[in-house]
Order: sequence, then structure tokens, then C-alpha cells
Amino acid sequence: MINYILRRILIAMPLLLVMSLVTFLAINLAPGNFFDSLRLDPQFSEETIKHYESLYHLDKPVIAQYFYWLKNLLKLDFGYSFFYNCPVKKIIAGRLLNTLLLSVVSLFFTWIIAIPLGIIAAVNRNKFVDRFFSLISFVGLSIPGFFFALLLLYFASQTGILPLGGMRSANFDSLSFFGRIFDIAKHIIIPTIVISASAFAGLQRIMRGSLLDVLRQQYILTARAKGLPENKVIYFHALRNAINPLITVFGYEFSGLLSGAALTEIICSWPGLGSLLLAAVRAQDIYLVMASMLMGGILLLAGNLVSDVLLAWVDPRIRYD
Amino acid sequence: MKIQSKQLNKNKFYALSILKKLPLITVVFLFLSIPLDADNQINQYGGQIVLATTSDPRSFNPILAKETSTTAITGIIFEGLTRTNGETLEIEPNLAKSWEVKQDGLNWVFHLRDDVFWTNGKKFTADDVIFTFNELIYNPNIPNSSRDIFTIEGKEFKLKKIDDYTVEFILPVKFAPFLRGMSQEILPKHILEKSVRENKFSFTWGTDTLPKDIIGTGPYKLKLYQPGERIVLERNPKYWRKSKEGNRLPYIERIIYLIVQNQDTDLLKFQDGEVDYYGLRGSDYPLLKPKEKSNNFTIYDTGASFGSNFLVFNQNTSINPKTKKTYADKNKLSWFLNKDFRRAIAHAIDKEKIVEILMNGLGYEQDSAMSPSSGYFYNPSVSKYEYDLDNARQILKNAGFFDRDKDGIIEDKNGNKIEFNLYTNSGSTERIQIAGIIRKDLQSLGMKVNFMALEFNNLVSKLTATFDWDAIIIGLTGGIEPHFGKNVWDSSGQLHMWYPKQDKPATEWEKRVDEIFNQGVQELNEKKRKLLYDEWQVIISDELPVIYTVLPASIFAVRNKFENLKPTPYGGAFHNLEEIYIKEKFKK
Repeated sequence: MINYILRRILIAMPLLLVMSLVTFLAINLAPGNFFDSLRLDPQFSEETIKHYESLYHLDKPVIAQYFYWLKNLLKLDFGYSFFYNCPVKKIIAGRLLNTLLLSVVSLFFTWIIAIPLGIIAAVNRNKFVDRFFSLISFVGLSIPGFFFALLLLYFASQTGILPLGGMRSANFDSLSFFGRIFDIAKHIIIPTIVISASAFAGLQRIMRGSLLDVLRQQYILTARAKGLPENKVIYFHALRNAINPLITVFGYEFSGLLSGAALTEIICSWPGLGSLLLAAVRAQDIYLVMASMLMGGILLLAGNLVSDVLLAWVDPRIRYD
Repeated sequence: MKIQSKQLNKNKFYALSILKKLPLITVVFLFLSIPLDADNQINQYGGQIVLATTSDPRSFNPILAKETSTTAITGIIFEGLTRTNGETLEIEPNLAKSWEVKQDGLNWVFHLRDDVFWTNGKKFTADDVIFTFNELIYNPNIPNSSRDIFTIEGKEFKLKKIDDYTVEFILPVKFAPFLRGMSQEILPKHILEKSVRENKFSFTWGTDTLPKDIIGTGPYKLKLYQPGERIVLERNPKYWRKSKEGNRLPYIERIIYLIVQNQDTDLLKFQDGEVDYYGLRGSDYPLLKPKEKSNNFTIYDTGASFGSNFLVFNQNTSINPKTKKTYADKNKLSWFLNKDFRRAIAHAIDKEKIVEILMNGLGYEQDSAMSPSSGYFYNPSVSKYEYDLDNARQILKNAGFFDRDKDGIIEDKNGNKIEFNLYTNSGSTERIQIAGIIRKDLQSLGMKVNFMALEFNNLVSKLTATFDWDAIIIGLTGGIEPHFGKNVWDSSGQLHMWYPKQDKPATEWEKRVDEIFNQGVQELNEKKRKLLYDEWQVIISDELPVIYTVLPASIFAVRNKFENLKPTPYGGAFHNLEEIYIKEKFKK
């Protein structure tokens, strides 16, 4: 197993390299660069703008810029953001925790709700409960996230129960420790509901379908024929075998930890990476974009690896050696 | 002046426009000091303003600051030798208490205040002024736009320290906007010297700096910056300015900027009472007006704002060295160069309808190159073009543009069908809507107009580098000093959009405009100076290199919790920030 993991990590290296090169070239395909917006400001002379460009090596050929970036990357220097006048590392570090908090909380709620509901729906196939959950799932799947978020914000503004976006209240600093936790908890409710609504729906359907598949297997019939109690059949025998597709989904969701919530973050003013990166892409703040692409890429590869390893661990039939 | 990349967002770039408040804050502020005046027993101190902004500051370094989200913050933390009064638009003393001018306006002696302290307790002196100019602004290793303003005909100002509180500026030539330019923020020498010596100034005071390390002289100092969330500014207890009654200013304890992702969240938060200020778009007016009483705020309409929107045609007749042809199509150029063609189009712009549809009637038709709110230099007596499609058709016909083959599209003398591309930037829904209205009217004149909204940087590279465009709708943020728009109006300017960077003026009128700007900057007699800029505004309205559309109204809503509020279109709601105080019942 260790061998397998090491091999996967080795393969990941050239993959990341190619990924970063393609991203870098793609960003540079767009016309102009970050300092172009200054060109339309009468108070900036062309010399000043050229000066800026040479300060950040933007006057060199694209491929030279790439190697320059790569060289710094080996020293764990992600470059400097022109947009925020600050090293990329520091900006991302500041926002990363916020995004992770939101992603982990919503991931947690998605799974904790979707799995039991999927099981209940499968066990009660075609009964009222199943149909009802299906309805909820389809609504959750079809409602666009941004629209749902706006609806909830509207609801919040009408009732005044929940805060309107953001992560902390303006008086956050004057709160006690528990007051602060409570304050963040209040702010996280709306974005969590929005993210969970669509993710939950898909997951619940997968759980239901995969459990139904297993329940049709002959060994379930055998278990029942042996007179095992029904919940033992379902939770002990069927569920364990139905979990494989979910682990694959888990690995996939892992890669979305940092980017999956972007749209919701933007609408709910959550100070995460989403809005940061949208602004960075639009302003052609290349090093910031590169750093985020790199993180997304690493997470995707890591997520796949984790789910493959988990699969082998859960299902003894799977062997990699 | 600056191109607006987003929308006609009112006066966002003036120091403090995006204000909001927080409802019930639990901290109680007791009197920090008691007014000396016996009959004025109200305690004016304490409380907070909560504002919202849609973008993070990008730096806390005023020399490197390039955009309004940054200057809104640095404008409160730092001060210049002079400042512009938000109400009268006059120049008034700030860090300099007085000045005198000698020898034909070339030598200016500033007497600095001797009671100003940096927030770390060190005294502000003439050395800081000299450092700011000589070692920051004129430092060849530090790219900054202030240098471009303070370099006249390639020559820099010379600074001479006379004593600790007296500085002399020696100008290479006369420079009329000099005093206004002296609002340039002064930075502390003792703090920044080291980073300049190590050649790191371009990376100093970025957004990752600890708030306590940002040292200014202004009424507020930075307390906290949480990226993507908020900026907290705290009253500077050592601020030098005193009220008429002798109270040490400012009154308000704290300013909080909430960073929201879009204007709609901002609006919701304002209605919710969380923020104290909201800059209205025309479409917000019907929503907010009925709630004025119940939500305890007042909507102020202060008149036309400064951000223009205009239509410009490519008139660049220079030859592209690569293709050996003109940048735009030769036939199209011949139409755009035709003044009658541009006049007809000016008559086809339904400004009234644009104001009605986009701004709910809260906008102003713009005819002159200066905003009506810019005061002294605004010239209202320029050529106006009322909306009249029949007249426009007649002008086109007389100039040889009419439908010869009866297919609904007009042709020029050589039989070429009038068809061109119209671009604007995709970030601005207002401009896209304006383009829609204009396009419809141009089509009814028989022109085929292909409209496309482009990403801002793409548009900029077309305007400044590749020149492959026909017509563009874009805007500039205006100001009160016409000279600061020189880069747009001078024929050699890179922002002379219709034909940038000309070696010598292509037309007679452009030659005259160049003369006006060269004379205007050296004319110290205000009356003569105004005559020059009046003439320039008339020329622009006659020649129509840019065809103006509308200016949005500068209109904003402020919670009724402040005293001493004097809203103006130039200064916004809080230009006299340090004198504003909060009513007692809103302090808790």
C-alpha cells in the first residue's frame, strides 16, 4: 500500500507541472495585463506603468515569467499579488481558514443528513416517505444556488432573525469568547443551508440507489432467510457494501473544499477564497490565480488518492499491489 | 480623473462615501472631554459610523494607492499641506497653516503647523515634507502617479528647508493647480526611511501590514483590518484640529467599514439598520423613499455627480506599421471623421429616456465636458444637441448618408453600408443599457450597429494599444480641476481616446485645445484661466470628439443619527468628518 501511495504521489508531480504551465499560458492568452487598468487613468504616465511591469517581470516573455514563478515556487514563494500589494501566501492564508470552516461545516451537515435520509428512502422504497424525500431532493438539485441564497437573504432581511451575509458582526471585538462563537455560528447558517441543499440532494439519491442495488443481492436474501433481524441486515450487511460509490464521491468533494463554495461565498459576503479569486481572475492578478489553481489541483489529486485508499480499506475485494 | 471600471457608482471615490452603521453596540463611551463652552453642555464625543464598501483596500500606502477603495481609507489616515473644502471647493490650509508666493508664482513658501504629531508621538516637521517629495515621489525606483502630476515639462519641483516648520517649493514653470496638488499626503520620514534605503518601499505598507505600524497625522488611525470583512479606524486622540469652541476633533470614536461583495447586500444591510450610509442607484430610489420615516434615514440628492458616460468614435488616422493600413477600416474612418456624422448621432441620443429608464429620473443630461457640480470651471453655455431623429436624418442626408437601395440601411457616397461595432465594458450594466437605447435609435436612422460588451482589460487594450475599434461607450470620473484631465484632451495624451499620442495635432481645433491646456496650467489669474477652459468646453461640444450622455445624480441615504452633516456632490456625506457628531441616543 505504501508503495502504491508513493507511486501516486510521484505521478502527481509532472501532472501538477503540466497543469500549472497550461494555466499560466491560458491566463496570459487574455489580452493585456493587470496594469492595463491604469492605462486609462490620466494620472499615470506610460513610463510609470512600464516601471510597474518591470518591477513584477511582466515585461519578459510569458515562458520566462513561468520559469521565474516556478523557481520561486521551489523556495515556497508563491509570488506577489499586484492587486493587494501583499505576498500571495499571506492573502490566501488569511482567507483559507474561512473557506475551510464553511466547507467543512457544510460537508458535515450534508453527510449527516443525506446518509440517513438515503437509507430511510431506500428501505421505504416507493412509500410516502421515499416520495417526499425525492421531492425535497429534486427541489434541492434544481434550485440554483445563487437564487436560493438570495431568497434566504431576503427572508433574513424580512424577519431579522439571521444576519445578512458576512462572517462576523461589526461589534465582534466587543463580544465575549462564547459570544464570538455564537456570532460566527449565526452567520454561517445561511451559506451552509445553501451549499448543503444541492449537495445533500445528490448524495441522498446516490445513497438510496446504491443501497437499493445491494438490497437486491442474493446474500441479503440469504441473510434474511437465516432469520437475521431486519436492522441487522440493513445496517450490518447491506450498508457496508453500499458505501463504495459514496467514498468516490467523498474524494471528489474533497477537491471542492476550497472552490466549491465560491458562488455562495460571493453572494453571502463570506470572506473566503471565492470572491478573492473571482476578483483576481478578472483583474489578471496572475500569481494569485496560479496559487489558487495549484491548491485546487493538489486537492483534486489528494482527494482521489484518499478515496482510492479508503476504498481499499473499506472493501477487502479491492487491492492495488 | 480615472476611468470607471464598474458602474456609475456615485461619489464612491471621495474620501468617505460608503457609510453604514451598526445598530445597538454595547460599548458605552463616557465623556472623553468636556466642551469648554459653558452654554454647550452636549457631549459630542463617542459613537461610531458604520459604512460598507464593495471592495477591499489594496494597500495602506498612499503613494502607491491606485484606486478608490484604497484612497477612501488612506485619505482619512493621512493629510496633505492643503485640502479642498467639500462645500465651497476652495483650497484651505491643512498641515500648512499659511503660505505665500513670490516671483511670478514660481516660489511658494509654506508655513507648517508646529502642533502636529504622528500617531506614534513623533512631531511632524519640514523634513517629512521634503522626504515625501524628494525620496518617495521623485524616487526613480518607486513607480507612482504623483510623480506624473508633479513633473512639469520633464522638470521636478525643488524643495528647500528653511527651518523645521517652513518649506519652500521652487517650481520650474508656473503651475496653476499647484495648491490643489499640495493635498498630496505627507508620510513620516522616521518610519519609512529604512525601507526606502533598502529599496523596499514599493512593498511597504501593503495590506498585510500590522495596523499599528501605519503612522499618519489624520483624524483617524487604522485599528484593524480583516480581509474581506471589515476595516476599523479609531479616533486619533492627538489630532491637531480643534473646533471653533476649542474642542479637540474628531468627535466620533470609530469608523467601521464593512466589506460586502455587492451593492445589493449593501442595500439590505442599510435597510436592516446595520450600516449608516448607502449610495443610491437610480433604481433604488422608489424602494427606499417610502421607508425614510419608518427606517429613520434621509435621502439627500446633492446634484449631478462627476462620473461621465460618453460615446466616442475612432478617429485614429495614423498607419499601423505592421499592416501598413489604418487601424480602423478606412471607410468607417471617413464617416467618423465627418463632423456632420457625429452631430447627427448626438441628435439621436435620447438623454431624457436614459435618465428615465436607467436612473428613475435621477440623472442629468450632460452637454459640457465638466460636471455641473464642478463649480468654478463649469461652462453651461456650450452647444446642446436635443433629441430629434428627423433632424438627425436631415443632417445625415445633407452629408451624403442616405438609403440609396431602399433596403433600410443607409449608405455613404461610395455606396458603403453604414455598419459599425459598438463596445462597452461588461462590468457596467448601466453602460450596457445606455448602449441598448442608443443602438435602437441609431438603427432607426438606418445604421447597422453591432453591440458587444467586453471585459474591461480587453476594452482598455483596444483603446490604448491595438486601436481596433469603431465606437465605444465608456466613462471618466471627473473632478474640479480641468488640468488633471490633460491626458484626455491634449492631442499627445494617451487617453486622447479618439486618436491618442499624436505627434502633432491632427486638426485645427485640437491644436487650439493643446494651446488652451498649455496656457491654462500657467495662468495664475483665475478669471483668465476660466475663460480659457470655457473656450475648451465650447470647442468640445462643437467638435464632438466625445458625445456625452448623462450624469447620474449624486444621491445617498444617511441614517438620522448625525449632527453637523453638510452633504455636497463633491464631498459626499462625510467630507467634514471630524466635525460630525452622533446624537446622544445613537451612541449606545
